[in-house]
Amino acid sequence: MAVAVASCSSNEGASEGSLPIKSSRAVGATRGPHGERAIPTSALDLSPAEVAKVRSGHYTAALVWHEESDFTTAVTAGVRDVFDQLGIRLVAQTSANFDPAKQKSDLETVEAKKPSVLLSLPIDPVITASAYKAIAGQGTKVVLLSIVPQGMRPGRDYVDMITDDLFEMGKRAADALAAAVGDKGKVGYFFRDANSFVANQRDQAFLKTITANYPNVKVVARQGIADPNRSEELANAALTKNPDLDGVYVTFSEPPGEGVLAALHSTGNTKTKVVSLDLSEPMALDMAKGGPTFALIADRTYELGRAMATSAGYGLIGKRAPPFLVAPALTITKSNLVQGYRASLHRAPPASVTKALGQ
Amino acid sequence: MAAVASPLVRIEQLRKEFQAIVAVDELTLDVDSGEIVALVGDNGAGKSTVVKCLAGVHSPTSGRILLDGEPAHFSGPLDARGNGIDVVLQDLALADMQPVYMNVFLGRELVTGTLRRLDRRAMAAETGRLLDELGVHIDSPRQQIRSLSGGQRQGVAIARAMRWAQRLVLMDEPTAALGIAETERVEELIRRMRDQGRAILLVSHSLDQVFRLADRICVLRRGRQVGIRSTGETTGDEIVSMITGLR
Amino acid sequence: MFAAFLLVFAFFAVVLHDDGFTSQTNLLNIVRQTAPITVMAVATVFVLSAGEIDLSLGSVVALSALVTAKVMQTQDAALAVAAGLGIGVGIGVLNGLFVTLLRLPSFLVTLASMGIVAGLARTVTDLQSIAVENATFVNIFGSGDVGAIPGLAFWGLGAVALGQFGFRHTRFGAHVVATGDNAGAARVAGIRVDRVKLAVLALSGAAAALAGILYTGRLEGATYTLGAQDLLVVIAAVVIGGTRLFGGEGSVIGALLGSLLLGMLTNGLILWGFSTAQQLIAQGVILLVAISLTLREPRRE
Repeated sequence: MAVAVASCSSNEGASEGSLPIKSSRAVGATRGPHGERAIPTSALDLSPAEVAKVRSGHYTAALVWHEESDFTTAVTAGVRDVFDQLGIRLVAQTSANFDPAKQKSDLETVEAKKPSVLLSLPIDPVITASAYKAIAGQGTKVVLLSIVPQGMRPGRDYVDMITDDLFEMGKRAADALAAAVGDKGKVGYFFRDANSFVANQRDQAFLKTITANYPNVKVVARQGIADPNRSEELANAALTKNPDLDGVYVTFSEPPGEGVLAALHSTGNTKTKVVSLDLSEPMALDMAKGGPTFALIADRTYELGRAMATSAGYGLIGKRAPPFLVAPALTITKSNLVQGYRASLHRAPPASVTKALGQ
Repeated sequence: MAAVASPLVRIEQLRKEFQAIVAVDELTLDVDSGEIVALVGDNGAGKSTVVKCLAGVHSPTSGRILLDGEPAHFSGPLDARGNGIDVVLQDLALADMQPVYMNVFLGRELVTGTLRRLDRRAMAAETGRLLDELGVHIDSPRQQIRSLSGGQRQGVAIARAMRWAQRLVLMDEPTAALGIAETERVEELIRRMRDQGRAILLVSHSLDQVFRLADRICVLRRGRQVGIRSTGETTGDEIVSMITGLR
Repeated sequence: MFAAFLLVFAFFAVVLHDDGFTSQTNLLNIVRQTAPITVMAVATVFVLSAGEIDLSLGSVVALSALVTAKVMQTQDAALAVAAGLGIGVGIGVLNGLFVTLLRLPSFLVTLASMGIVAGLARTVTDLQSIAVENATFVNIFGSGDVGAIPGLAFWGLGAVALGQFGFRHTRFGAHVVATGDNAGAARVAGIRVDRVKLAVLALSGAAAALAGILYTGRLEGATYTLGAQDLLVVIAAVVIGGTRLFGGEGSVIGALLGSLLLGMLTNGLILWGFSTAQQLIAQGVILLVAISLTLREPRRE
């Protein structure tokens, strides 16, 4: 049924107005780590004069990522495109594979090149804080993605922090799941069971929205995911206990969403619909083939990169940036999958997905 | 009996069981200084077990080992060595990647100074002297064992036994892996050790070798002692029939 | 090995001259960053030389780090360090007891304990990171300097000096290599082979714990992911340094050079401005060239 609804929608891209998924009342808003109000990334703007001023500085930049994935690739692409316009040269790029000790070493190594700006996603808000403070103390302008190291203040220690519109993503997930089950039924809630600024806000937004706005959709199963790599086992157990779920929400797609999907496939369950966050190839492919995946809520990842690079320009010329910015969210279903990939990751979907869509 | 001087080594009613298997049953044997006694028997007759009991690797289930008339209990190989017993094993028991001198001093390394640093120089020098004395030719005592020929390796094993065995040398198939010329050299070394007054217990498959070297021959069959003969008063045929049990 | 080390160093020194590779800060960075790996590499020289392996290394790093950080929240730093080290030694001894008493291969025993310890590390704090604010602790085990030399370098080099003495100049060191070379021969020679195995595994636990404490000092906090990527790096450093993977031969100085070489590669390739994918490829290629030039075994006739 859900698929039929999705397929009769027009195919006009990531603009969500065309989707049959309705947008419910907002019961909360994304807040920054210091309680800041969220400002959309579209508010960032450098005038031609300011761009020229940045260009004349011949600045250098370093990217210190937490890992390497579709996500960081798309952010990096956004960063590079804006850096080209601003004449900022990328002199170092690292990926720490989620190892905070490696990230600290990377920061120290990069520090030796004395970059004018550092763009980074800190793996851990606690234990790499000293390294971020050190590099900021050296005069490097720091632009942060999603996590602020403990004790760092916007404007003083970093330019700004940019992340997804977290509440909006969780809310959209709730709207999508409600649409998937026809506004009525029993759903499961697979949430991130660890301290994570990003995941916790999104999960809470989903839960708040589904309980407040969809009284006929009951959350009957809750499963915390502490170790994302064990999601499939957790999902198997939860689905065995609740075989009659109409839908499930999964905190993020890679790997927990994929784990839930695998669990559904292995039990031959075709009834339960899945809504998860972020794009992942296996889930997009499942969606393209008309499988259980009903919708993926994504951020405009490429836009995150552009906003970070623009913020770097703000920092370099001493222009005050809003301390907390968010990139808009997207609801991606089968009908706007191709456009969704472009809008989120600034590239075509993987070949497998395009093929499954028959394009 | 009491008037006669005790032999260097006396094995009395030695018995060794491994779980349900009796490897050696009631062996009684003397080996005196300046004497080579051969232990012969078919595979699984219990020869190696006897050697290992004497070397302190196994402890006997029952029976006694007397050294100069005094009962001896070995808690381990080091203990046996402390009592002047050393062993040259079938599989050589050399550590391939270590230098020659380390093998000669394995488990009893020389140390120097308050920090008890290894005295590699002294060990190498003494090893060189020992091998010269025995006429074993190698390039340097600092060579790794794996760079040596089979005969040279057996030379090192024997040198080690010479260095540590003041009383009894146990030889388990010392020439099994060697060619004819090398075998001759090793046999010469064994005789020299006997001439220096050591007692030697020789385990060998080669009856020719046993007749060439041994003064007395002790025959084992399936863990039981069949008999002891003086080399001069027996023949190869008799020993073979004792080993096989076919008369 | 030394030649490979110099080769890579000289290469980077020339290519990255203008990128600060040879600056004192950067060179000290390399020493600082590799200190925990070096400490574990020294112990691993003993473990591998004895013919054993300790796969639980990385998990012990995390557990010891977390225990140290957690105890420090309420207790004295000295007690916290003792607790962290005690955990490491305890796990090492348990590994050793399973290997020696039940005659199990250390590969399997430590594979099992790797999982158990990793699980414990996750439960200790429920996956939360713990910050450490004790300035004395951070100074001693992390960011402090002794003169112009980072304190972490002292820990690393201290471990190397002790390790080198123990490995090359004591009877224990000789017994370790003999055990890994031919355990049977060592046993017949009166070496207490089981005690040697127990000792090297305990040493490995202690070194992993110290590495965890150094990470805690350096990062001013601990988290359960610490050390997760370290096992292969440590083994690579040790084997590049000329220690046989299957026992009987080892080199502590080689392990130090191996650890510095790997650290230098990561550092140099970042300074070069490569993307992370290029870094991985270049790292592999340079490593392969370096070890082909130095470690290849001459063909025997």
